[in-house]
Amino acid sequence: MGNSVAVSLDHVAKIYPNMKGKKDVVAVADSTFTIEPGELVTLLGPSGCGKTTTLRMIAGFELPTSGAIRIGEADVTMLPPNKRNTATVFQSYGLFPHMNVGDNVAYGLKLRKVSPVEIARRVADALAMVGLSDLADRTPGRLSGGQQQRVALARSLIVEPEVLLLDEPLSNLDALLREQMRVEIKRIQKKLGNTTVYVTHDRVEAMSLSDKVIVMRNGEIMQMGKPSDIYENPRSKFVAGFVGKVAFFPADVESVDGMEAVCSVGGKKVKARLGGEKPGDSGVRSGSKASLMARPESLRLGEPGEGLVDGTVTTNIYLGSSVETWMSTPYGEMLAQIDDPANRAVWPEGSKVSISVKESLVRVLPEE
Amino acid sequence: MTNARKKLLVFAAAFTVFACADAWIFMTIRKAFIGIVDGMQAKQADLFVRAAPREASDISGWLESSKDAIEGEQFTFIAVDPDTGSYMPVDPDSSIAGFWAANASDPEFAKGLDSAYYFEPYTTAKTFKLEDIQTNVTFKPLLNADESDIIGILMITRASGAWKDFDRILLIFAVGVLALFSIIYLVVAFARDRISAFAIIVLAVIAFLFIAYPLFETFRLTVMSQGHFSLDVWKRVLGGDYLRAFGGSMLLGVLTATVSTLIGFLFAFTVNRTSMKGKKIVNALATLPVISPPFSLTLSVILLAGNNGLITRQLLGLTAFSIYGLDGLVIVQTIGMFPIAYMTMSGVLKAIDSTQEDAALDLSAGRFKTFTTITLPLAMPGILSAWLLVFTNSLADFANPLLLAGDFRVLSVEAYMEVTGRNDLGGGAALSVMLLLPTLTAFLAQRYWVSKKSFVTVTGKPSSRLTELASPGVRKVLTFLVVLILTLIVALYATIVAGCFVRNWGIDYSFTLENIFEALSRGKKAIFDTVTLAALATPVAGILSMIGALILVRKTFLGKRILEATLMTPFAIPGTLLGISYILAFNKAPLVLVGTAAIIVINYVIRELPVGLEGGVANLRQVDPSIEEAAQDLGADSATVFRTIVLPILRPSFISSMSYTFVRSMTAVSAIIFLISARWYHLTVQIYNFSENLRFGLASVLATALIGIVFAAFGVMNLLVRDDGTMEKNIVS
Repeated sequence: MGNSVAVSLDHVAKIYPNMKGKKDVVAVADSTFTIEPGELVTLLGPSGCGKTTTLRMIAGFELPTSGAIRIGEADVTMLPPNKRNTATVFQSYGLFPHMNVGDNVAYGLKLRKVSPVEIARRVADALAMVGLSDLADRTPGRLSGGQQQRVALARSLIVEPEVLLLDEPLSNLDALLREQMRVEIKRIQKKLGNTTVYVTHDRVEAMSLSDKVIVMRNGEIMQMGKPSDIYENPRSKFVAGFVGKVAFFPADVESVDGMEAVCSVGGKKVKARLGGEKPGDSGVRSGSKASLMARPESLRLGEPGEGLVDGTVTTNIYLGSSVETWMSTPYGEMLAQIDDPANRAVWPEGSKVSISVKESLVRVLPEE
Repeated sequence: MTNARKKLLVFAAAFTVFACADAWIFMTIRKAFIGIVDGMQAKQADLFVRAAPREASDISGWLESSKDAIEGEQFTFIAVDPDTGSYMPVDPDSSIAGFWAANASDPEFAKGLDSAYYFEPYTTAKTFKLEDIQTNVTFKPLLNADESDIIGILMITRASGAWKDFDRILLIFAVGVLALFSIIYLVVAFARDRISAFAIIVLAVIAFLFIAYPLFETFRLTVMSQGHFSLDVWKRVLGGDYLRAFGGSMLLGVLTATVSTLIGFLFAFTVNRTSMKGKKIVNALATLPVISPPFSLTLSVILLAGNNGLITRQLLGLTAFSIYGLDGLVIVQTIGMFPIAYMTMSGVLKAIDSTQEDAALDLSAGRFKTFTTITLPLAMPGILSAWLLVFTNSLADFANPLLLAGDFRVLSVEAYMEVTGRNDLGGGAALSVMLLLPTLTAFLAQRYWVSKKSFVTVTGKPSSRLTELASPGVRKVLTFLVVLILTLIVALYATIVAGCFVRNWGIDYSFTLENIFEALSRGKKAIFDTVTLAALATPVAGILSMIGALILVRKTFLGKRILEATLMTPFAIPGTLLGISYILAFNKAPLVLVGTAAIIVINYVIRELPVGLEGGVANLRQVDPSIEEAAQDLGADSATVFRTIVLPILRPSFISSMSYTFVRSMTAVSAIIFLISARWYHLTVQIYNFSENLRFGLASVLATALIGIVFAAFGVMNLLVRDDGTMEKNIVS
């Protein structure tokens, strides 16, 4: 199993021809990636970025315009969904309204001609796993959103799919339930070790659940990697902004040496690492315009005139373990996170501050 | 891409091989068959010639006496002048003389004659025109007694067209087999979802074969005369007094639609905007005429107000009064059709949010002012819609005018008379096409114009609260009118039941059960046929409409809009036109269906499919597609998804589509009257026949029986549909 691949997409594109003589709609431009067995991969991006289309192509609901999709060793590009060993948890769950919970969960096994005794046992196990053992006789209409979500999950897991596909499974739940289910999905996925593709537009879900995150925009893969890589070393301003709060300083790149760059922000020199994992990822060259990306935790506040830019504190938000200080600056609104506020100075609202950066945490990103 | 190209190449190869095999098989069949028939004909001709007299002078008499010895062949004696070697037909009739004059100099002709002259029979390699018909010509020598010399030549002419029909059918089969092969091959090789692909193809074939093709045949017939394009039929129909029938239909339609809309609005308003009591009973009684069989209301009106009517003759002693004609028709049609208007406008009034009326009342507008400034304008599109619907129904109505029109002429009945009375299919076709024009216009106007103007936004939450828009006095008047009309309806049905037990209506009102025995014994075949055919059509229409709904809502494919439009077409087509189309299209090989049960069942299915289809489509649009996707994802193929998911979810529309089909098939008449035969009869036609022969007692019994069957069917449906309402809630995404 070690170096085999569970799912692979090879130059997969999906283009919807527009009948009325307008331009074709490119849903997915040219996606190539692989998923290791047991890995949970998140497709993250704003709506319309092609993440759901990608998932539906893996499931077989959409046919790629070009490219190939493999599950395990087999090329499944042309196979219909019922011939693929994938199971999808839909955004709206898609529970069968005319069957009770038990029959919903048993559906896939019945189609696989499993013996009734075996079905009963496995349905009981699956329902126990999602904590719905005593609701087997209810119809879906009489379940809460969270319970419906669990039924959908149990129904997909019971057929032991090679790939579990989750299409924004938590988007219909309220905030508290969402957090609960997130933990639950993570627990079950780790326990069963399913290879999983998870589609979401919620960066917190993506960051907290995934082994690997694939950030998409307008049908293109912007970046993929471990959550920490994506967060710390984004390649572009879009990715930096999409996966976390961020401030940008306009910068002129003076020199690039490997991953290190020296640039000037408002006349002040800053030495910082380039975005991405290796030189060339971000496309920043010496002499070009760039942006210095700073997460809230990499900003330092001081007396006016000391830092890269001066600003005025507009709001302080007290969060217990930290304080978020919002400032207006000539470069736009910026957010600094001040940890351990009990022992550190918090600048009052209205005060003038200067903003400097912790060079080891900021990254140089190309202008878009 | 290369994969697809490879598959296409393989297909092209397979197609070529199959086409060659196909062509070879059918050519062989054709040759063998033609060989057999030709051989038989040659032998026949041989025997005929052998019996010929041996003296030239006897030939003419012999030919005269055995003129029609062989069907389809003509014999002409051609004398040979031994001196000049010239040939001359003896006593030819004018057509043969012309034929001879035109072709004698043709080298083939000369060759044949010369050949026969030297004792050798000859059949020309090409055909010649004899009175516009392609004709084969054979020359046979006629020998003298000792067979030493010829006494003349016998020219045998036979129309070559006899093979045309055979060739046409053979060609249809050959092409059909090839098309079938190609379709199956292409679907299996290319379609990801073969079951759906086949379902689409089956639906397309049904739409083409049983909707588009018959209608096309009908239109074609109206512009054809003896094989050529011609507008003779239209000239005759538009020039003659058939225009009067058109005017009659329009006048009747306008009157019935207007009166029905008024009464329908009275009902809709009283039920939905006043606190009248017994609304459920009003609803039940008012919808009764919609499902009651044709002829029943007419029958009842004739019993009460006909020439020997209980009211007109017995009670009032009127002799000059006649219910037959426009007045009677408007009355009967209005009673039968105002429920359509009522239901349409009731739906609209229910959908108008009564808070708008409350707001007006709150602004002290007064009830009448509120009605005229708020309710009426909001309901206007619904009222127009109702009018158009009744108008369409009135034009297409056939049963009521058939019995009650008297001297008043309407298109549907004229078309029927043209076909059955005057045996003129072309005229009937033209008249029914003429009928299509206003009905289609009204249908399209209602569908795509009026319904778009609707102000009513369906919120999905009709307010159950009622805004009283009538003062107590007005309410009493409205209630009185409603009760009056309902009483009339009840009286009409009671009359039919009473008619069952009366010995001889109009003359002898004594009680008897004889009608029942006679009607049942004479009508049992019709009852059995009618129920059997309706029961056959019901599941087919139900399943087809659900499959159709699934495909039209969920699948995307080339020509979907065309398929949908074609399948919906029968909705707007008068039954008369469809009936005539079917006899036109299905009376020639290879699709000879006229006279069979199949043509009736197919006609039922096709006519009722649009309603089921629409119900299914509306129902399925409410269903979250991920339900079906989930099932497919878990391993179900399209057929399994349909069986285990779609059909159970669409159960309400599935059952109502079936019950609708059953009831409508039981009460069909306008199309079916063209398609029934001695083998398969229909109850409604039997009722009509009894009524025509003034056997009103028998007609009443059968009408009552039919009403009973229809109600039983509705009862069963209600039991089946009234199930769990909990399900519907969570289907909606």
